[in-house]
This record gives sequence, C-alpha cells and structure tokens, in this order.
Amino acid sequence: MTTLVGQSAPRIDAAGKVTGETLYSGDLTMPGMLHMKILFAGRPHARILRFDATQAEKVAGVVKIFTAADVPVNEYGLQIPDQPVLCGLAPAEGRVDAAIVRFTGDQVAAIVAESESAAEQARRLMVVEYEDLPILADPESALAADAVLLHPERGADNICVHDKIRKGDVAQGFAAADVIVKAEYRVPMQEHAYLQPEAGLAFVDENGLLTVLAAGQWTHVDRKQIAHALALSEEKVRVQYPAIGGAFGGREDLSVQIVLALAAWKLRRPVKIIWSRQESIIGHGKRHAMILRAKWGAKRDGTLTAAENIIIADAGAYMYTTNKVLGNSTITESGPYFIPNMQADVIGVYTNNVPGAAFRGFGAPQALFMAESQMNKLAEKLGLDPLEMRRRNALKMTDTLAVGTPPPNRPTVLDVMQAAAEKFGWAQPAAGARQPNSALARGRGFAAGFKNIGFSFGYKENCWARVEIFGAKKVESVTVWCAAAEVGQGNHTILAQIAAEVTGVPLENVQMVTMDTLDMGNAGSASASRLTVMSGNAVKGAAEAALAKWQSAERPALAEFTYLAPPTTPMDKETGFCMPNFMYAYAAQAVEVEVDTDLGHVRLLRVVSANDVGKAINPAQVQGQVEGAIVQAQGYVIQENFVSRNGKPLTDQLSTYLIPTILDIPEKMETVIVEIPDENGPWGAKGVGELPYLPLAPAITAAIHDATGVWIDEFPLTPERVLKALGKLN
Amino acid sequence: MQLSVNEKTYTVDETPDRPLLWVLRDELGLTGTKFGCGVGICGSCTIHLDGAAARACLTPLSAAAGRQIRTLEGLATENPDGSLHLHPVQEAFIELQVHQCGYCMSGQMMTAAALLEKNPHPTEEEIITAMDRNLCRCGAYPRIRQAVARAAEIKAGG
Repeated sequence: MTTLVGQSAPRIDAAGKVTGETLYSGDLTMPGMLHMKILFAGRPHARILRFDATQAEKVAGVVKIFTAADVPVNEYGLQIPDQPVLCGLAPAEGRVDAAIVRFTGDQVAAIVAESESAAEQARRLMVVEYEDLPILADPESALAADAVLLHPERGADNICVHDKIRKGDVAQGFAAADVIVKAEYRVPMQEHAYLQPEAGLAFVDENGLLTVLAAGQWTHVDRKQIAHALALSEEKVRVQYPAIGGAFGGREDLSVQIVLALAAWKLRRPVKIIWSRQESIIGHGKRHAMILRAKWGAKRDGTLTAAENIIIADAGAYMYTTNKVLGNSTITESGPYFIPNMQADVIGVYTNNVPGAAFRGFGAPQALFMAESQMNKLAEKLGLDPLEMRRRNALKMTDTLAVGTPPPNRPTVLDVMQAAAEKFGWAQPAAGARQPNSALARGRGFAAGFKNIGFSFGYKENCWARVEIFGAKKVESVTVWCAAAEVGQGNHTILAQIAAEVTGVPLENVQMVTMDTLDMGNAGSASASRLTVMSGNAVKGAAEAALAKWQSAERPALAEFTYLAPPTTPMDKETGFCMPNFMYAYAAQAVEVEVDTDLGHVRLLRVVSANDVGKAINPAQVQGQVEGAIVQAQGYVIQENFVSRNGKPLTDQLSTYLIPTILDIPEKMETVIVEIPDENGPWGAKGVGELPYLPLAPAITAAIHDATGVWIDEFPLTPERVLKALGKLN
Repeated sequence: MQLSVNEKTYTVDETPDRPLLWVLRDELGLTGTKFGCGVGICGSCTIHLDGAAARACLTPLSAAAGRQIRTLEGLATENPDGSLHLHPVQEAFIELQVHQCGYCMSGQMMTAAALLEKNPHPTEEEIITAMDRNLCRCGAYPRIRQAVARAAEIKAGG
C-alpha cells in the first residue's frame, strides 16, 4: 500500500505561481545589469561580405558589440556542432563556415548596452552587407543534384540523416497481400508557442563561476555547450533554471545562453536579454514538416504483410536533434503493429528554413499519422471495423518491431484500444449522423499510438539524485537534490511524493533542490517522457539508500544514487536492426467530429483518450498532461498554420500564428488512465507527456472520412483545404 | 507621472508612450505581470484598470496615469498577522490544480477576477467568452473553466 504515490497531491509549486512570487528567466534582475539585443540575419541564405559597427558603437550607453571574432570556438549544437554561435567574418575556429547565414534566425551580433533602448538603437545602426545565395525552401528542392550545399563540411549532398529499415522481404510480402494501399501524406511545421519567450541572465559570481540563468530542458548539456563555445572547462560554468514557462521540446536547443555567457564572461558584469515574440518564433526550432509516402499490404482477414515507407523531413538549417527525431520516426512508422516485411528510408534534409527540432512526440506524431491512416484505409478497403483491423495486427511480446527486435516490455496496445473503445461506446451505432438538409456532417474516428520512454539507440540512459534525511528519533524532514527540469509537467511534485512515500514524512516536509549543475549530477533532459521513470527511480533509489543509513543510526543520513536504465543498442546503418529502447508506452483515442461541408470548418466534439501510464503517481497531473496534449495536438491538426515563403517565416507573431483558445477545445475530453505496471518503472510507472498527443491527427482525419467519405492526407485542416478535398473549391 | 498601483502611489519618470507592462516590471519590480507577445493577443500581461481587465503591453503609461491599476501582486489581501489572504480566484486555481508551467496564470487569474467583479455568477458560456482572451499553451483550459466557476462559488461564500 502506498500513501502518497497514486494520490493527486497538490503541486508543490502552486503557491508561488498563483501569487506571482515565482520568478521566470525574464523576471530576474541584478544591480549593475547590462542589456543585450541580438542582430538576427533576417534572410534565409547569404554570405556576409562586410560588417560595420562604427555608428552603432557611438550610441551613448553601448558597452560592447560582440561578433563572430569574439567567440572562442564558434560552433555549437545539441547533437553535432554545425551552427555558428555568431555568423560573421572571423578566422574559422569552428568547423562550420561562419560567414554564411543559413536561416533567418541566425545570430549575427550581440549588442550590449547600459539600457535596452540604447541596445535597440545601436542594433538599428548596424551595417551588414550580404550577398544573397540561392534559397533551399523545401527538402525536395534541396535534394536536387544541382542544389547548393548548405554544409559542405558534412558531405556532398544536403542529406543530414538517412535511416533505413530492411526487414524480411517486401516483394514477397506484397505478393501475399490481397489489398494494397498507397498514399502520400504531408504534415506541417509546428511552433511551440510556449507563453514565455526566451530570456536569461548571466553573470560571474563571487567565486569566479560563470553563471547562466535561462530556461532549458537539460542543465548539464546546456553547460557543456556553453563551455565548449567559450573554451572553458565545464567546472567554470554553472547553469541554473529559474521557473520555466513551457518548453515542449523547444528549449532543448540553445537560444540566448551562449551569447549571454560570452558577454558576462568578457565584461564581468551581469547581462540580461528578453527575446520578443517575433525573435522567439524565428529563433528556435519547430516540429519537423515531413512528406511521408507509404505502400502497405494486407490479407483479406486484415493481417498486414508488408510496408514500404519513404519519409522526407525538413531539417532546416542545422541538425539540432533531427537525427534522433528521425530515429524515432523510423521506429514508430509501423504503428504499434506487427509487420513481417518492411522497407523504409527516412531522410532528413538541410534547407534554409528554421531548424526542425524536438517537439512533444519527437518524430512519432508524423510517422503515426501515416501508419494509422494506412490502417484506417486498409480497414475501409477490407470492410473491417478499424478497431478490429488493429486488434488483428496489434503488437505482441513475441513479435518484432520495424527494427527487427521484439518490444522490450509488454505491448499494451490491445488494452488501451479496448479501454478507449469501451468508454467511447465504439461498438454502439453512431448517433447523430448526417442530418438531412444540413451542411453539418458528423463522424467518428479511431487511432492508436506508441512511443519510447527514455533515451534511445545505445545512449547510457541515467539519472542522478541525492537524498538527505533529517530527524533525531523519527524521520522529520527530507531534502532531495535532482537537476531534472520542471517544465510544467509536475515532475518536482511527483519527486517530492516519491521521497515522502519512501521516508514516511508528510509531503510538506520535503525540500526540493533542483535544476542546477552546481553540486549535482546529471539528470538528463525533460524529454522523451522520461522523467517519471528516470528521475523517479533515481529519487526512489537515493531515498531508500538514505533510509537504510538512517535506520543504522546515521544522523543526518545522506545517500546518492544513479539510476541506470537497461541498455539499448544503436541502429544498424543498412538494415535498421537494433534494440533501441528499454520501454514503450501506448495510447489510443476515439474521437467525434463535426464538419461544416459548406464552410469547411472542422469541430472536434469529443475525444476519449486511453493511456497506459503503468502507474499514475499523481492522477491529477496525468490528466493535465492528457488534456494539454490533446489541446496542443488539436491545434497542430486543425488550426495552427505556420507559413514560410522562400525561407522566411510569415507567421512570426501570435496574431498570425493562431493557437487554440478556451473556445476551440473539444466539448468533451475524457481521460482513461490504464495502469499496467512496468518492471522498470517506479511503482510500475511509465511516462505520459507525449503519448496522448500521438493518435489525434489520424483519428480526426478518419472521423472526417466517416463524416464526408473523403480522406484528407495533409493538414492543418484549414477551411480552404477541407473545401478543396470536398470538391467545393478549386 | 504618478501611478496608483495596488493602492500605492508611485512616481515614475518615463516617457508617456512607454507600455505600462515594462514600467510595472522594470521600474516598479512587479514581475507578476508577464510579457508574452507584446501585441495584445496572449493575455499574459492582463491587469486591471479601474477594475476592468486590460492589456498592460498595449496600455501606454499616459493612459494608465490617474487610474487605479491592479496587478497579480495586489490580488491577495494581507491578513492582520501579515500572511496573505488569497483571492477566491487564487484559491480556486490552487484547489483545482490548474497550472502547469504557470506562465499565463497571472493573466488568466486577472481576467477571471475582473469577470467576477462585474458578474459574480457567470454562466459557463460567460466564463468561456471572458477567458477566450487568454492563451494557455499547456492546454489547461478545462481546469481554467472549472476554476473560474469554483471561484464564483468561493466568492459567494461556498
């Protein structure tokens, strides 16, 4: 029996956030603080010819204008260092040619002044002369044989990633098929639009430690990249996160951190920056736009025989995490089903667009839109119920994934599908079908999804924590150290619950010390839905070890623990063969939509989402994640429309990039928490953050098909696109 | 120029066109009011001007002078012992565990508080219409809806 684990304990950060006491990056100030503005390239592809800061430097209050020449090692990147910190005409210390700007958000100069207005005035006086270069506006043109090379240092084409699956014999598989479905899908970029734009403060502390306070998702890797660019040892740099105003993957890659650190280090004064919303939208990565071509075959009874997929992703100007995102697409492109014969080529292409980056779901939403749509179409062709079609192919422990190896933990796709179908009433005939003489048509759709929990492909997945227990006769209070990032998901609350559960203290007697590189081990990132498992196990292990010491009379009792997840292996370059993950989680959704066939509007009326979370450590937070993911996915599918023209983002404000409001959300969102414990999770818990995002897109387009008889294989589902699909608009 | 914020009077030496948002945050240190978009769309900077919800990012200082300004910091009142007595909206937002990242919450709560001042017993539709002006990217909308209704109950003594 647990007393706290499994309870909807109140969030430990609630009081500070409702009173306004909690400080986010942009809320920080220090005496003697300077202000920074960034001069962005503002053009997608060009060579810098001349640079003149003479007039800008004359502005009263300007302290220093940093350019490429000031960056000790002018390169960075989360996966590979293919991006200059500042573009400009410096002798190349980095491996990438810094004289070229490759997207509009490339940074060209960092202007530091006594006031924001002086920095702003100086920015307007900066003179940069460019020679514009041919623009690669989409991945298909970047693949052309004569396309200009964006990263000649990385090879003879613009392909930055090519993952392959060669499993079984697809020719034989298709020969054995009774039906084949071929289709091309296109999915758009998505902007994170976290409400807190990028901001930060850097300073050198009294011990000479370069300290950077800026929201991120992985303190220790931010530090590593900052130290690399500044040619400092990591011990000289401290990264701390103030409260984080949303992340969703978009804060995995650095934005303001290196330039702030550089300025504070060189000037020995605190330096602060806040990006405008426009700067945020052009300055950080996006969910990858992809083109997905699929050919799938099945027998008359629904059994899948073969799949052949080609996925082309717009990586944008730099790698960011494209290699890992596409690795994930490569795994999830089968859907949570057994396909004996598979061939896939998953390609990431450099272009002059804003880089493709991590975003909730990390490559799985795109691949699953294709896979689940293929399942829905095959079911239609075979006259099978889409749920039945899925049941007949659902992944089992003895099956193999696309990568040729069995799933590492029990696949629970049947369980979540059953739970969603029951709650929705899938077996009952649809109510409220098309009204005569009405333009409104209703339909139902079903889809499932799966995704890894934790880092993949041979990464030594680990997380560190320390717990100290205080008290004389009985355990009175506990302090937990763990660097894990609270991005809003509730991680720090569940860690406090876990520490309280193990040591027996009330929740309010747990003190959390978090999000810091100083005196703390690596916790890994707030990504891959991994923190409940990884930091949960780390804190559980440290608390148990501390408790054992306390029981053998140590006062206070302190213990550290690093949780190591089961090992995984990297992908084989030619066949994709690997054991990429130690855990998967599964979700299924049934939805009802209403299509206005005159106006092209799609309304999401009802979503039932069933998610296997292993064990809900805090059910209220699980439900919050499910509802939030549905709202964000609904925006992705129906509403959000990121428009770039020839490499230039046009929707660079929240007035042009529209995200869902309280008016847009489904009338009914129902969460079904399925709890099938996993042996590697704390109390059996898996992750949840990304899972409910995954099935929504294919479920919605299936429901539109049910309502109108038309498949729409591309979104966002703007009225224009819907009317075109219905044949009512040319 | 004189500003009345949370029932205190401040003298500020700023240009009349400077947005109230940055005067509150940078000059008065009231960082509970957040910057989100700067164009009046997201609602993160919602404050009260003479009791009505307004966007601090679109309010020039000159338009705020002489009016009663309230920010998140002025939503709770002080008990005789110095502790905070939370506003019903704050109580309800805690009770229903509304926030995730929390960044938009200041604006959400200020919009909700202004609604309840004008309309102590809003219908669900009135709540949705009022709260439609505040974005939440974490998607906490179902709980925002419930929390505003709950705040009305608390306010009515429930």
